[in-house]
Formats: sequence, structure tokens, C-alpha cells
Amino acid sequence: MSGITLAVPSKGRLEELTRDWFASKGLTITRPGGARSYLGAIDGMPEITVRFFPASEIARELIRGNIDLGVTGLDLIHETSESGPASVSVASKLGFGNADVVVAVPEAWIDVTHMHDLADVASDFRSRHGRWMRIATKYITVTRQHFAKAGIAEYRTVESLGATEAAPASGVADIVVDITTTGSTLAANGLRVLEDGVMLQSEACLIVSRTAAFAPQRKAQLDAVLSRLGTTAGF
Amino acid sequence: MTNAAFRRTQLDALVEAQGATRATPPLLLSADPYFDLAGEEFGRRLLLTTDTTGAEYCLRPDFTLPIVTAYIADGVGKPAAFSYMGPIFRQRENGPAEFDQAGIELLAQPDGDVALDQVLTFARAALSIFGVAPDIRLGGVALFESLLVQADMPDAWRPRIRNRFGHTEALDRLLARLEAAPDVQRQQQPSRAELVDTVTEQMVASGLSLSEGRTPDEIAGRYLEQQALDAAHVPASTLKLLRDYLAISGPVLQALTQVEALASRHRLMLGSPIRAIRRHLNGLGECRVSFDASFSPRLDYYTGIVFEMTGPNGEVLASGGQYDRLLERLGAAAPIAASGCSVWVDRLEAEVSP
Repeated sequence: MSGITLAVPSKGRLEELTRDWFASKGLTITRPGGARSYLGAIDGMPEITVRFFPASEIARELIRGNIDLGVTGLDLIHETSESGPASVSVASKLGFGNADVVVAVPEAWIDVTHMHDLADVASDFRSRHGRWMRIATKYITVTRQHFAKAGIAEYRTVESLGATEAAPASGVADIVVDITTTGSTLAANGLRVLEDGVMLQSEACLIVSRTAAFAPQRKAQLDAVLSRLGTTAGF
Repeated sequence: MTNAAFRRTQLDALVEAQGATRATPPLLLSADPYFDLAGEEFGRRLLLTTDTTGAEYCLRPDFTLPIVTAYIADGVGKPAAFSYMGPIFRQRENGPAEFDQAGIELLAQPDGDVALDQVLTFARAALSIFGVAPDIRLGGVALFESLLVQADMPDAWRPRIRNRFGHTEALDRLLARLEAAPDVQRQQQPSRAELVDTVTEQMVASGLSLSEGRTPDEIAGRYLEQQALDAAHVPASTLKLLRDYLAISGPVLQALTQVEALASRHRLMLGSPIRAIRRHLNGLGECRVSFDASFSPRLDYYTGIVFEMTGPNGEVLASGGQYDRLLERLGAAAPIAASGCSVWVDRLEAEVSP
């Protein structure tokens, strides 16, 4: 097999910004079939096949090595698999899609300002309330890793695929791990980010798969396109 | 019969020879008890599946929990012994995996020391089938708890420190925080009633239930406690004691002598838990045994003595100890003596293969 697969977010602001970024480097991504087509190309680089995917699928396929190169959020790389970060290489940070994955507690928890407070609250939550402290999040992998690092084991995650910030008020969870740019949505829902509660600073990145098989010819093609983009694979 | 098959048969015979009931819990188990007992940290290691109602099940990740749960359901109290060998399933970084585990569980035995000796003997016998003379690492949960009870500090700090025992980084962070405790003058604190009012207001404003989770009273209480704690310093000498103690690690006799010296310097009575460790050393005679003061599994139901046996490759081949609080955590009315261990059969087989 020869040729390089580049995966690009398939819709919305992320697609636009990604194409702008490539254009700023002199590469034009075309989408001949329009928004309903999921196949594209780069003008003047026939060895590159462009595929349009949802961002979370790009992360998954990069980690599995089914695509070679892609644009997706760092948060999705960390969340998709514990081995995600080790399976890819960040070639370039694109400077958009910036957001933080944070731990936020109800504003009313005036006694909890740091992760170590949360550790104390979690450790006797069960004896006080007969259940574990519940954390609503779509970032289950990231949460588990960071809470383990903070020495907090006494909690349960509740998967939340949308409007996570509403979970404490609706009684689904006690606190949240959520992604935020300004914190204003969290604040509007009476939630406060812990002072050391930023678990991951994410942004859109150009990412190379480390698990894809790069025979010499494909490696040369990869290096060529990356050098046009002013970066290297890092391996 | 090949050598490998012969060793398997020998191991199976050893498991049978424990004078114990051979336990064969189902492969498919409800996942909730595991999350309840060990939290998300262990939960991420489970191989999960769901039934049509969305209830979560997991492939058997260990034998202890189903064995102990069944024992409790049968009505506790009578001494019982269980042994097992079979597959367990745990997520690994490079994909899910099936492992074989063998082990024993000794429950409600009249003499916890004798029970632990049997556990240690079993583990060593299992390892010797595979030609492994292990390095044995001992940890003293009872020893640490006993030190913590006697160390001079405000009471509220003890559970906070205990809770981090076994997690080196978290404990280190807490001690560092205590060492750096600022000597700032606390500003006048609002009264408890005022705090409860403020918190209640905030909770109502953001639509939080006042009774479902943390209550205003609990939050105000912990806030005041926290303020009091920040003011109630742990004496520098106690912090140094904890640091010195946790740093003790080395050949068991030397390490225990160090613990004794530390205890006598600080006038602590640690004789009983130290003797408990010494009693087991005779039986471990020719093995390289070390004691690591900071070593403990991160689960709060461990008590007494815990151990780990590693082979030449540095991999943990057997681990276990005493966990007298486990049965209580799983619903028994009172603590019941329990000890046991599990042996990683696949890792043992890897030790002998060329």
C-alpha cells in the first residue's frame, strides 16, 4: 500500500479552521462532492487521500493506525484510550479549538477548593451518604487517570454525553469533569473549577499515528507532506 | 507429560491440598460490587458488558470478592477455607487479557497468625513448583495504623493521613502541604449558622437538592473543620517522624530495628505489631525478605501484614496478606479475620520458559 491518509473533521467550525490552517501553509484541501461527501484531496499532492470524519473517530482511527495523519483535539486522544497519547505523535498544535478539561464542584461547596479537599470529601462520602461520590463526565478515561494520580479512588463516574454541567442540579451526580473554554457555562450552572482542577489543556492538533505501518516509501511521503506543513513526525 | 503440564498438575495438586473448599465462582459477575468495593480505579481494569436492562456485568476479575460474598450469604461465623485456580480477566494497556490465578482465602480462622503462615507457605510452595526463590516484600498496615494513633497530631488529621497510606505520591503531597502550613493569622470565621445559611442559599440558587448529596450542614461543618485544621498544625517533630518512618525500607531485620529505634526515640509503643511481623520470619528462613514501611495496597480493608513476592524478572508473582475489614465492607456485621493471597500463574510460567 502506498499513499497517505489524512483525516479532517467533517463539519462545522472545526472543518473550516482546519482547511484555513492548511491553506495558510499553501495546501488547499478540496471536497469535490461537497458537504455530503466524505472523500477529498489536496491540490497537487495526489499521494494524499483526504477523509472527512467526526473528530472522535479521527482520534480512534489514529490510535488504531487505520489512518496516518489527522486533525483532532488532544482531549479526544487522551479520552479514547489510556494508550492513546503513546500511540500518536503531535506534529503541530494548530492554535484553535482550545479548551480545558476541568474538575468543577458546586459553588456551594465552599470547603472544597483543591483536589486534596476532594480527596477528603470522597473518602468519607460513602459512610455519610451510603453511596460513592458521583462524577458526571464524558471524559471517563481522563478522569480515572487524573483521579488515580491525585490519590482519589472513592468515587463513581456517571457517563454524560451532553449538558454535563446540568448533572449536579438534576441530581445525577455531585460534581463534574467537563470541557470548557471560558468557564462561563459552568459558572452559569453554579459550578466552580477547582484551583488545581485543570486536568488537560486541549487544542486542535495535527497528529501522526505511531501505530500505522510506515514502510520507507510511505514514510517519505509522510515526511514530505509534514515538511510542507513546517513540521516533522517526531519519529 | 511436558514439564509445563507437569508443573500445572503440581500446582493444581497444591491448590487441592490446602484442606479447603475448591471455589469455582461464575465467570460472569455483576460489576457493581467491584465498583462499590474498589472504586473506579479498579473499575477501569474490568472487562464490562451489559444486559438488556443496561445493568453492568464483568468477566471475573478476581476470586476473592465472589468467594467472600458467597461466604457472607451463607451466614458468617464459621471458620472456612477456600482455594481456587482458574482464569480471571483484566484490561491491560495492550488490550484485554485473560490470566490464570491460583490462591487461597482463609476466613474467620481462630488464629490470624497461623492463617497468614499458611498463606505464605502456600505462596512459596506455588512459586517453588516453578523453581522461583522469591524476593519477599512485607508491609505493615497494623504497624502504620498503630504509629498513627500514637503520633502527636490533631485527631482530624489521622484519617486524612491513613486514607493516603499506600499511595506514595498522595501521601507525600499531604505531608509537604502540612510541612508548608502557613502561619498566617486566620481572619474571624463566620458562625456555623451563618455559613449554613449562605451555603443553603447557594445550593437553592443553583437548583441543588439539600438532602440528596452533601448537605449545607456537612459543607459548613467541613469548612470550619478545615479552617481549624489549617490552624491546628501537625507538629514538625510528628511530620519528621512520619517521613522517617515511611522512608524505612530494606532487609527485614535491619528495617525493623530501625523502626524500633524510631519508636523508642518518639516513645511509641509499637512492640506488638513489630512482634507480629517477626513471628512470620522464621517460616521464611532462606528467602530474601525486605520490609517497606510505605508499602500497602491502596484498599482500606487491608489490616495487619501484607506481602508481595517477586521473581528474578522483578514481576509480582504472588501477593496477599490480611484483610480483616473486607467482610465488614461487604456486609458482614463485624470485622472477621481474613487472609489470603493470589498467585499469577502465567507470570510464573514465563519465569521458567527459556
